[in-house]
Amino acid sequence: MIRHLFKLIWNRKKSNFLLITEIFFCFLVLFAVLSFIFYNVRNYTKPLGFKHESVWLLTMRPSTDSAALNHQNLEQVIQRVRAFDEVNHASLTTSNAPFAFSRMNTFLSYSKVKELVADEYHVQQDFKDVMQLQVSQGRWFGPQDDATHHVPIVINGKLKQQLFGEEDAVGKVFPKNDTINYQVVGVLDHYRASSEFSAEEPAFFERINLSESNTSFWSELLIRVKPGTGVAFEEKMVREISGISKDWTLEVSTLEKMRQSKSKLTLIPMIALGLVCGFLILNVALGLFGVLWYNISRRNGEIGLRRALGAASTQIYWQFIGEVLVLATFGLLLGVFFAVQFPLLQVFQVESEVYFTALLCAVGIIYLLTALCAFYPSRQAAAILPATALHEE
Amino acid sequence: MLKNYIKVAWKVLLRRRFFTFISLFGISFTLMVLVVASSLFDHTFGPQMPERDTDRLLFVNQMREFSEEGYSSSGPPSYYFLDRHVRTLKSPEEVSINSVFYQVNSYVNNRKLAIDIKYTDREFWDILEFNFLQGRAFSRQEVESASRVAVINENTRKQYFGTGEAIGQYIEVDQVKYKVVGVVENVPVLRVQSYADVWVPITLKSQDFNKPGLRGSYFATIKAKNSGDVPKIKAEYAAMMQELERQHSKDRSQLYSFPDTFLESIARTFLNNGKEPGVGLLYVLLGGLAFLFMLLPTINLVNINISRIMERSSEIGVRKAFGATSSTIIGQFLIENIFLTLLGGLLGFALSAAVLWLINDSGIIIYANLGLNLRVFAMGLVLCLVFGLISGVLPAYRMSRLHAVEALKGGSK
Repeated sequence: MIRHLFKLIWNRKKSNFLLITEIFFCFLVLFAVLSFIFYNVRNYTKPLGFKHESVWLLTMRPSTDSAALNHQNLEQVIQRVRAFDEVNHASLTTSNAPFAFSRMNTFLSYSKVKELVADEYHVQQDFKDVMQLQVSQGRWFGPQDDATHHVPIVINGKLKQQLFGEEDAVGKVFPKNDTINYQVVGVLDHYRASSEFSAEEPAFFERINLSESNTSFWSELLIRVKPGTGVAFEEKMVREISGISKDWTLEVSTLEKMRQSKSKLTLIPMIALGLVCGFLILNVALGLFGVLWYNISRRNGEIGLRRALGAASTQIYWQFIGEVLVLATFGLLLGVFFAVQFPLLQVFQVESEVYFTALLCAVGIIYLLTALCAFYPSRQAAAILPATALHEE
Repeated sequence: MLKNYIKVAWKVLLRRRFFTFISLFGISFTLMVLVVASSLFDHTFGPQMPERDTDRLLFVNQMREFSEEGYSSSGPPSYYFLDRHVRTLKSPEEVSINSVFYQVNSYVNNRKLAIDIKYTDREFWDILEFNFLQGRAFSRQEVESASRVAVINENTRKQYFGTGEAIGQYIEVDQVKYKVVGVVENVPVLRVQSYADVWVPITLKSQDFNKPGLRGSYFATIKAKNSGDVPKIKAEYAAMMQELERQHSKDRSQLYSFPDTFLESIARTFLNNGKEPGVGLLYVLLGGLAFLFMLLPTINLVNINISRIMERSSEIGVRKAFGATSSTIIGQFLIENIFLTLLGGLLGFALSAAVLWLINDSGIIIYANLGLNLRVFAMGLVLCLVFGLISGVLPAYRMSRLHAVEALKGGSK
């Protein structure tokens, strides 16, 4: 039966050619959009590794060039901020705070692994309490790190896995540059700060020691406030800080706001793509429905003859559904051939799992869609009475 | 003849309502997406308030430095560079130096407003054509004396003063009080060169003026006397950069900075950052994207058209038997198809007007004011014709090749 169907389609390949190309392109579009969506959704469901609720980010832009003066002011500002009743913890950070738009990368090498790109974060000791991190192995930074030979770092699980594999990471020493070494003191299971929709990248933390030099300056301060603290406190805090720091430009933002604007960057293209894709599919489905209806209604004579020779109406029905599915299979075979190249060639560094799920879903949707489009015309064909059909002929 | 063809086309459309619906649906939605995209493009790059004379305006917003070791760094140029080297150019009519916009906070009645502030000189207001709703721009004298005056946009006025009077009142931004002297219409955020919520005199930032170095946080806006002068300005700018490169040859091997039209600067940033802006390449890429997007609906339309035309094989048979040539028949079907796409196009315009209204209303793009204008309409019309031609050629060609006898019998398979 199936071989017969293939033969039928093959014999009419010229007139079916356009339908097959249509299904082929439809599949490719679906595959691309689904891969994109699955990739983002998959990342979204993974843990971030920190809690961003009621954390504020204060950005300070000094107007003078005197590094010593700025450093002095910065120390006073931090002291003042920590002294507020509404503030639980505060920590300086480099500009790559969670959900910020800036990134800092560096290359790390350890034994066989060469030049692994890792995100570099510089934070103060309080950062752990500000972001409520969970250290799973080793320890977080402490006062004992003030005078160590190597630069102590805390790494995330992804970096541990890519740099050390299954080995125990805590205590490992590897070069930062020609003269200084890093030493791993702790491991966090997860830390994924750039966006909720981005994949986890290797990352490590270095400790900021403000008292080490009297000219150093960091322009971002992360502050964990008591839950429910509002804009009234923000205004008070900004007023007091500008009393200390004079002409600095101050900007306060909440991590929640930053999260929203960052996720917009992924969500809006995702929704727009989804809508455009949905429209394309609907368009194709309607077209397919129209064409199938027309094609099947032109074969009245053939149906009448088959019925007269004793074919049951369900047989006619399944023949037409089957024909359309075989048609879809031709388009899909071609499409799958191209789509499979993506996981095989590791395009875009996306896990193969995402591609394969998208591929299976796209195949499923196309089959479902074509079957739905063929449903009504086939039922009409099956309902034809042999006498009327043959009479028409 | 044309009238006849259109009459026939209209009758055919009415005969098979379902097919007509499918075709119109596909055409109108495809065109809607394309028109919305063209409108976004026009909104970003076309002449809009406040940058109306786009062919006379050039922007300097990048300075790239390449060191001997191969490091490169880029960002907006410094005031120092713009003041010494760009403001002194001979060929432009006027040059304005203005800062990038900064987001700062402002607190009003226990509410926080995040406001974008931009520091500008007097020339900024002469070169660009803002729509002043009230008041005026700050004067040359106010800039020179570093007065704390501000021009605010409509939205800031609403947030601060509600429906009350704004001119002469004070607003406090980033702990500094400014006197409002003017209110302008909102400028969309896509116009990064001019966009802000509050504009204040550049002299309030005078601590930046003497910082040496080529990179900083300033833009320059250059106005040419007429569009023919633009190449002259570019040439003078290039010569100036060459001279500058020579002076800095000790520490930097190459310096790149160009006065670009807005489209050129975007193309340069996204495509190559090289000597050529790459506008042509940008157009090719956009055209390619539009083509890929149209591909699926086109195949769909071709499919439907073939079915529709096959139904009319007896009609074609009769016409062929009475001596109509293949080209006449192809012509007829093409005209019919273009008529159909134009109908779909009309629907598409109506739909896109609704979608644009939705986008404006939703506030996804800050202060967006997307609309249909003559330029967008023309782009849409061209797209309609292309769409109609492509989807009509293949079915018409197939049909025209039928032999009269076969066609009269009811067409081939």
